[in-house]
Amino acid sequence: MQTKLLQEHAQMLLDTAQVECVIGYSLSPRGLTRPMFIYRGEDVEQLVWNQHSSHNLAKYLREKIVDLGDTGKVAVVLKPCDTKSLNVLVAEHKIDRLRVHVIGMACSGVVKDNNQERLQDRCVECEMKQPLVYDYLIAAEHTPEVSPGEFDQDSWQTEFEDYSSEQKAEFWLAHFDRCLRCYACRQVCPVCDCPTCLFERDDSLWVGPGSSIQEKRMFHLGRAYHLAGRCTGCNECERVCPVNIPISKINQKLAQVIEGEFGFRAGIEAVPSPLLTVVSGKEYGG
Amino acid sequence: MITRNLNDNCWLPHLGKISSIDNLGPEIKLLRVHLANGNGHSNEEFQPGQFAFISAFGVGEAPFGIASILTDDGSLEFAIQRLGNVTTALHELAVGDLIGVRGPLGNSFPMEKLEDKNLVVIGGGIGGAPLRPVIQYVNNNRNKFGELTILWAARSPSHLMFREDYESWRNIPNTNLHLTVDQPDDEWDGHVGLITELLDQVNPSSKNAIAITCGPPVMIFYADKLLSELGFSPDNRYVTLEARMHCGIGKCGRCNIGEKLVCVDGPVFSMDEVENFLEGYF
Amino acid sequence: MNYIRQEDLHNWLADIGEEYRLTAPVEKDGVILYEPIQSLDEIVWDFEKPVNSIKEIFFPQTEILMELQISGNGSDEIKEVIPTEKNILLNVRPCDAHGLNCLDAMFLDDSPPDVYYAARRQNSVVMGLSCSHMGESCFCTSVGGSPGDTVGMDVMLSKYEEGFLVELLTPIGEALFSDLPVTEQVIEVESPFEKGLFPVPNEEILKKSFDSELWGMQAERCISCRICAYVCPTCRCFDIRDEVVGGSNGTKQANRIRCWDSCASEAYRRIAGGHNPRASKIERLRNRVLCKLYYYPQQYGMLSCVGCGRCIDACPVGMDITEIMSVLVEGPA
Repeated sequence: MQTKLLQEHAQMLLDTAQVECVIGYSLSPRGLTRPMFIYRGEDVEQLVWNQHSSHNLAKYLREKIVDLGDTGKVAVVLKPCDTKSLNVLVAEHKIDRLRVHVIGMACSGVVKDNNQERLQDRCVECEMKQPLVYDYLIAAEHTPEVSPGEFDQDSWQTEFEDYSSEQKAEFWLAHFDRCLRCYACRQVCPVCDCPTCLFERDDSLWVGPGSSIQEKRMFHLGRAYHLAGRCTGCNECERVCPVNIPISKINQKLAQVIEGEFGFRAGIEAVPSPLLTVVSGKEYGG
Repeated sequence: MITRNLNDNCWLPHLGKISSIDNLGPEIKLLRVHLANGNGHSNEEFQPGQFAFISAFGVGEAPFGIASILTDDGSLEFAIQRLGNVTTALHELAVGDLIGVRGPLGNSFPMEKLEDKNLVVIGGGIGGAPLRPVIQYVNNNRNKFGELTILWAARSPSHLMFREDYESWRNIPNTNLHLTVDQPDDEWDGHVGLITELLDQVNPSSKNAIAITCGPPVMIFYADKLLSELGFSPDNRYVTLEARMHCGIGKCGRCNIGEKLVCVDGPVFSMDEVENFLEGYF
Repeated sequence: MNYIRQEDLHNWLADIGEEYRLTAPVEKDGVILYEPIQSLDEIVWDFEKPVNSIKEIFFPQTEILMELQISGNGSDEIKEVIPTEKNILLNVRPCDAHGLNCLDAMFLDDSPPDVYYAARRQNSVVMGLSCSHMGESCFCTSVGGSPGDTVGMDVMLSKYEEGFLVELLTPIGEALFSDLPVTEQVIEVESPFEKGLFPVPNEEILKKSFDSELWGMQAERCISCRICAYVCPTCRCFDIRDEVVGGSNGTKQANRIRCWDSCASEAYRRIAGGHNPRASKIERLRNRVLCKLYYYPQQYGMLSCVGCGRCIDACPVGMDITEIMSVLVEGPA
């Protein structure tokens, strides 16, 4: 069973001082699966692995490595999609790959928060059942039986393509209207990590702190552009939104465009996005 | 605490006209402000130690200690160091421009408690600004106070605050002014070293004395420690603390140090209060 | 007790909507939110609690305090923008009304009173809907509330058969709702089931545990967003700044705005010059919890947690104030 193997491996890593910390999942007193930080071998029984392990734990790596000083190593439990985020962070020199011990989990999908009989949309058509990078692989024993559900990303995108510009604008502005600017989408994202967010400056240089529709549109669309070529589609931003804004659909669209134009998908390898970073001398579209 | 509301809206600032701008040091200016719509309010309502929110209209407000007690033309003075958005905007203003003044806010130095005592006043850098009204007040009421010892420190001679006042301070009866800089220049022939070294050298007596320290938090920490060793009890050591503020009237919740709000319970605190703070003050 | 059928209440509300802006729980894209309504059909009657609280009716996320005309030649002008809208809030849960009570203690009762909040507050009527049961994350009973509490309300409705029992609680409630078509009925009302209580750490415990490593263990998973503060009925930290909105011929027009902020965010206490006294998540979490349980009571006289559980529901990483309270009182599990 994956949980048992995970616990044993974590215990070994901590007991032999190969790592100082294991970042994984555990159950809260309410039975909620959530991120957990383990520092001692005797605590590994708190680690779990289940179909609620949605969080992208690559988010915590940068801060934890800084915490551990110059040499400490951290182990982290990563799903296949999460390993893509790791690749992006390594490619951008945000973390030192040698400081991270990746416990890669084979994964058959995680379920929705509000409908636990259904897989999350991103998992329904996911073909990446194995982690892309790992120092230790925990393979799946069997495929648990959860119905995939009806979400068809291609058909959603196609339907959306049929909208006129005005309809698309109306669609998104109606969603952004509910936005609280709580920044949960930004904070949960592993690759959104500027020391001072462009959209949260004290001098309101690019956008103010208010909740007008103009400001919220600027924040969401601007952030999507900053993530273009870097977002790996973990969809955590959408899951954590308290008012159900389907924000990751914008990122997916941009990812599609980039794959079409540049033949590039973020995080498949630890190389930086060619968007604005690679000058090839070729002219596109010619 | 004295808070004055214009039209009962605590957020409305007075309009103040800048009547003069002096250079106090590198990136530091002294703005003299004449309240345009004072409606007969006299500056005597502003007590030493209090602060006001100054608006650079179009940018925002920020809190500044009031750096004078009374000027000849009924103006207030503020020492502004250029560090962020509001202070940069204030530095770009000219004589005749209008700013907002929301205040006086906060509590003040307990001038009545200081009467008949010897006073040790310790200022570091721009932190000395709220101490200037104390010195002015003592000068205006000289026989109410004992010996006045002023220790004044800065990074360098050009950073020493209110240099034009030093001669008049030295001329205050029963008053001594001691200066020190961390880094001298070619013309400096005074003490070189940290404020704590100067304090050690001056060695003021704690007998019947009260000390007031204003400056960067780390300076307060070390100076205050030395004052304690010199025999000043916690309730005879006063400090002014700072924190990021957005309202100054105990509403926005930002400036708390533990359960104390710097804007309402301070900014003046005695060390016996500070020692009971739950959170550290820096 | 007085009883009104739902359809009679619906018809009565149709008339009142002319003079007042009605705010009620509505459903938008699968989310229940308190929002101003365009039509009575939007009102949701069967819900646990909306994702947001009613604080934004009185303390909006963004509001214009003043309009500034900056001419640069010594003739600047400031114009206050005092709100005038009249609100009726419908189907307000007891925890939310309790939250309003909390905010009153700071915005109104603590001198000086805030004119903007006061203007909205005195032009508003709160119609509450009692809870028939406590939700999964609810813990109002642990912090001095209850599913049937009437604190902060002008009128209270309680579901009964095909309609509601009606209690008029304040002179405002009586003045506005006195012509509701109610009938007197003899009714036996069952008390809603109340869950067991979570322990709430007192001042002594909070002071003693200030430096405990428990805070670090709890704070590690926090991602320093602001969901908890923004959905909370009582969190009230704000920012004030000016925004230039236009101008011509050398005159700038700016608005002085007030908007929400949260002590959970990283830059909350960072000052110009760079020093940040709460640079670590541990200090920020501790401040947030202590503010609710100790600082706010010291400053304004009451706990500022109403036990609604929204922060627990909304947190992306499973932070849980009831867990933190239990750990502080009883030690780690």
